[in-house]
Amino acid sequence: MNRALIAVMLIFIAVFPARAEETYTFDPSEIEKKPYHFGGYIEARPVFFWADTNAALYKLKYYNQDVGQTLQEYNFKLQLEGSYEKDMVRLYFKTNTDYKNSYLGNDEQSTFYEAYGTFKPSESLKADAGKRNFKWGKGYAWNPVAFIDRPKDPEDPEVGVEGYTALSADYVKSFAGPLKTVSITPVLFPVTKEINKSFGNRDYLNLAGKIYFLLYDTDIDLIFLTGGSKTTRYGADFSRNATANWEVHGEFACFPGYQRTFIDRSGKSYTDEYNAVSYLIGTRYLTSRETTFIFEYYRNGTGFTKNEMRDYFGYIDDGYRAYLNTGNDAALQRAATLSEKNYGRINPMRDYLYLRIVQKEPFDILYFTPAITTILNLNDGSFNLSPEIVYTRITNLELRLKAGIIVGSPGSEYGEKANDYRLEIRAGYYF
Amino acid sequence: MLKTITAFLVTLILASSAWAIDGAQLLKQVDRNLNPESYEMYRKLINVEPDGSKKEYTLFSVKKGQDKIAALFLAPASEKGRSTLRLGDNMWLYIPNVGKPIRITSLQSVVGGVFNNADILSLDYSAEYNVEKLDESGKEHLLYLKAKTREVAYDRLRMWIDKSKILPTKIECLTEANMLIKTLYFKDMKDFGGGLTRPSVIETDSPLYKGYKSIMIFARIKKKDFKDEIFTLTFMPNMESLRK
Repeated sequence: MNRALIAVMLIFIAVFPARAEETYTFDPSEIEKKPYHFGGYIEARPVFFWADTNAALYKLKYYNQDVGQTLQEYNFKLQLEGSYEKDMVRLYFKTNTDYKNSYLGNDEQSTFYEAYGTFKPSESLKADAGKRNFKWGKGYAWNPVAFIDRPKDPEDPEVGVEGYTALSADYVKSFAGPLKTVSITPVLFPVTKEINKSFGNRDYLNLAGKIYFLLYDTDIDLIFLTGGSKTTRYGADFSRNATANWEVHGEFACFPGYQRTFIDRSGKSYTDEYNAVSYLIGTRYLTSRETTFIFEYYRNGTGFTKNEMRDYFGYIDDGYRAYLNTGNDAALQRAATLSEKNYGRINPMRDYLYLRIVQKEPFDILYFTPAITTILNLNDGSFNLSPEIVYTRITNLELRLKAGIIVGSPGSEYGEKANDYRLEIRAGYYF
Repeated sequence: MLKTITAFLVTLILASSAWAIDGAQLLKQVDRNLNPESYEMYRKLINVEPDGSKKEYTLFSVKKGQDKIAALFLAPASEKGRSTLRLGDNMWLYIPNVGKPIRITSLQSVVGGVFNNADILSLDYSAEYNVEKLDESGKEHLLYLKAKTREVAYDRLRMWIDKSKILPTKIECLTEANMLIKTLYFKDMKDFGGGLTRPSVIETDSPLYKGYKSIMIFARIKKKDFKDEIFTLTFMPNMESLRK
């Protein structure tokens, strides 16, 4: 009886692990290289706004419409990308289509974000021709040295942006010793009425460049832009790991002879010229509980002072009152033009703090990442606060719920934003 | 009496250094039996949740010498084109949308799950660890390893080694205070060609992620030499061109 029992138990022990053991497969076709690639990304992003009807930018945007206190906006995005590679040549494109349905109606915009060819005769040398992003700088939220990139949104810095058309090359050389890498990137950057027309003064062939060093485990870049479309500017950046879980970075940019146009409350226009200096110092720290802190201070030497910004908002308020009294919206139209050119740029003032806290997979919930981000305007004390949760459990699907709380007194940057609160749901699928 | 004590101490010191030499050589042998010093490799990472659902990542990796390794994500679509680079203690991640390499740390995980960046971009064990002790009393060698610097992800390792194959069967990863972070189980021997026969599956579980496990499957490992310039930030966006 005992022998029979032992035999049954042995069979059970032998069989059960075999059943519990799972086999995993790796099909060779999964790693087969094809000369071409095609993929994309599709996104739905409804946004709900709670308007601040007393704010200057609300009046500027909706002065001739009754849109009420709450607004909805339905955004859809489609990005397609493809590449073809043969020998030393690679062709690549990425399109972007944005469709927006809001109180202002329907709006659809399609463009190539990137479309360029690469010629790579060796591992040390390559040349690119076409439309592409350069993404210079080490800052997370801001990049004062990104002289030939469109500005990114500090509230969503990882979202892709449209590139510029240029001819560029990369030459890289590695060494033994404290200096491990040197890389040189010259860029020819034309601006005409057909090419890069929004960049600056037209009919100039600009020259930009970057020299990169990996020296004593520190990334260092020296950067410049010259040529006439914008004033000559130069800068530098660095990044290094102070310890295994602590990174520090910084950027410095100098804009000699920078010209700035601003208005007083009556709308009278002024231009001043000075040597502007912008810089950024930042850090990223990972705790043992997998909380990441990203902290940056940004000095925008090309920005407006508190009084200059207050004058602009005052000009809008006066223009709005004039419109209500007379029906004449000339001042508001001019304010809108100034906003497009200057005042409406992202974070237009002088001093900002950025803090983002990300907790990876709290309570052992895999693929679940809550975060909170704040941008504080040090000049007027206004700020926004954005809590969010991201869930990526399903392969290729990213879900994000994000709120925005905007706080500031009248006359301050965030206090005069068109909304007090916002709630956004983003569902993005990669294919 | 003094002679006896001296002889005992000398014997002890000699024996200790003999352990250290044997242990270090054994560890180097383990490294070479796992991978050539410079290679290209295809791997799949699978994160398995307690309910059995899975998430898979496919990677192409290249390594050169003691301190250079880079990896490119081939799948899924949401990760395709991402690449990671490690030069000694420096690590970077390139995300196509972000468009530039950013510095990351060895303890983070670019894939979630139980594997972290140090597991994905692992260098030779002998490059990162010293042998503290070799225990041969059991059926397997047991190596007690201590990180050479504080930059290494796990301060201590306990490595069980098959005596005939000189390959690891199990590795425990511990903190400085000997707290267990994760355990790696080496399984399914496979002939990869070129004289390389090694486990083709590494399973990982962790008391920090109860019920979850991660699996790394190796499909192709091939000895190959690369130029140093491939292991640079400038090259990170072009890693796909290395695949033939």
